[in-house]
Amino acid sequence: MDRWNRWLPAMAGMLLLTSVSSAAQNPVTVDLRPARDNPPSPAMGDNLRFSSTITNTGAVSIEGIVAWISLVEIDAGNEQPMDLEDWSAQKAVTGAVLSPGESLKTDWPMRLIKRGDYRVVVSMTDRGGRRVNTSPIVQFHVREKPVLQAGRVVWVAAVIPFLISGWMVFNKTRQRRQRTRFEGPVPHQTV
Amino acid sequence: MKTIWIIAGKESAQILKSQRGLLGLLSFSGMLSAFSLLLVSDTELSLLDNAQVVYMLEGTVLAAGALIAAVLGSDAYAGEKERGTLVPLLCAPIAPETLLAGKAMGLLAAWAIMFVVAAPYLWAVGANGQNLGAALFYMALFGTPVVLGFGCLAMALSARTGSVLASLLSTLTLLMLSASPLFIGPGLRGTAIGRALDIINPFAGALNTFDSVIIDSQPFYAQLARALIVSVWMTGCLIAARHSAAHPRYQ
Repeated sequence: MDRWNRWLPAMAGMLLLTSVSSAAQNPVTVDLRPARDNPPSPAMGDNLRFSSTITNTGAVSIEGIVAWISLVEIDAGNEQPMDLEDWSAQKAVTGAVLSPGESLKTDWPMRLIKRGDYRVVVSMTDRGGRRVNTSPIVQFHVREKPVLQAGRVVWVAAVIPFLISGWMVFNKTRQRRQRTRFEGPVPHQTV
Repeated sequence: MKTIWIIAGKESAQILKSQRGLLGLLSFSGMLSAFSLLLVSDTELSLLDNAQVVYMLEGTVLAAGALIAAVLGSDAYAGEKERGTLVPLLCAPIAPETLLAGKAMGLLAAWAIMFVVAAPYLWAVGANGQNLGAALFYMALFGTPVVLGFGCLAMALSARTGSVLASLLSTLTLLMLSASPLFIGPGLRGTAIGRALDIINPFAGALNTFDSVIIDSQPFYAQLARALIVSVWMTGCLIAARHSAAHPRYQ
């Protein structure tokens, strides 16, 4: 018991030193949450919004902040990072300085283009730091929804060429009648 | 002014009243029908976002419009010469600028007809999605200068060379170079040369505008730089056409 009482403060001191050291090395927290008004069961074509909060929990200002969003598909056999070009208009934000205790909040809108299971994460780094800080992952499923109405497309694809063809026939007939009227009927030859 | 409308009417009649023009229009609508049916019949393609489909279709319409403008522009002066109708035309009391303006109005009429034919297709594939109205508006706003520019360039070459084949080949080569963003991948477009080409290319400017407006829902002020590029392109081609039409080289 005496030995335990001797070692306990040392162990507590080591734990405290480790956590202080960690905080000093990683004075940033990145949080990511889906917006409350996101549809509960999103489908293709829906819009989602995520909100991130980057907080400087250290004692020193952070300069040259860059934060970006990443989206990966995790469907079995189809695991891949997604190109956000068609999913979102905002892919990254920058911040000049983040003072101690200050937070940088950002909204990340996203339009759902393809069905599947996805994970989204916000990453952040700064000019002086040597690590990338990431937020917790948010996972969501996008339901499939055929977006082209076949009936409407087939109808237009058939009617337009039909109308143009009809106009061609009408035009040809009218030109032939005008030519006949101008040239007159062909005279019959008698033998 | 009345002379311009008479010439424009005659040029427009080639599209709507001649069998050759109507056959071209039928081919154009057939191409759009095939593309639309392909989108519906293929499972993966039918799941594409509406906005993406509208963007693809508008790029196709723009390319076809520029192609038709190149063909009509190449025929404007050299075609009249090869048919033997240029001399009577030049002997008529029509100023070169008036003749050029009438033929340019005819080009615009052809583009307007193509726009009207393409609009139902865009509605059919894009009515459920976003930014359909904006898509039609920007296709008119950015597509018209691009198409008119290629048409005027073809007319300038037509007046200069006196040969339909020579002017058509030259214009088509330039058109293919401008439309290269449709063929090369994003990786090549991201290189220094690719980016430089994108900046000065009116065709790429129009395509990037369609992407920005239809897919990313960007506002008008984000398109101002590209609007400047297509305007400069159209103005430059108009000036070239005016200069060539005033000093044509005929054998």
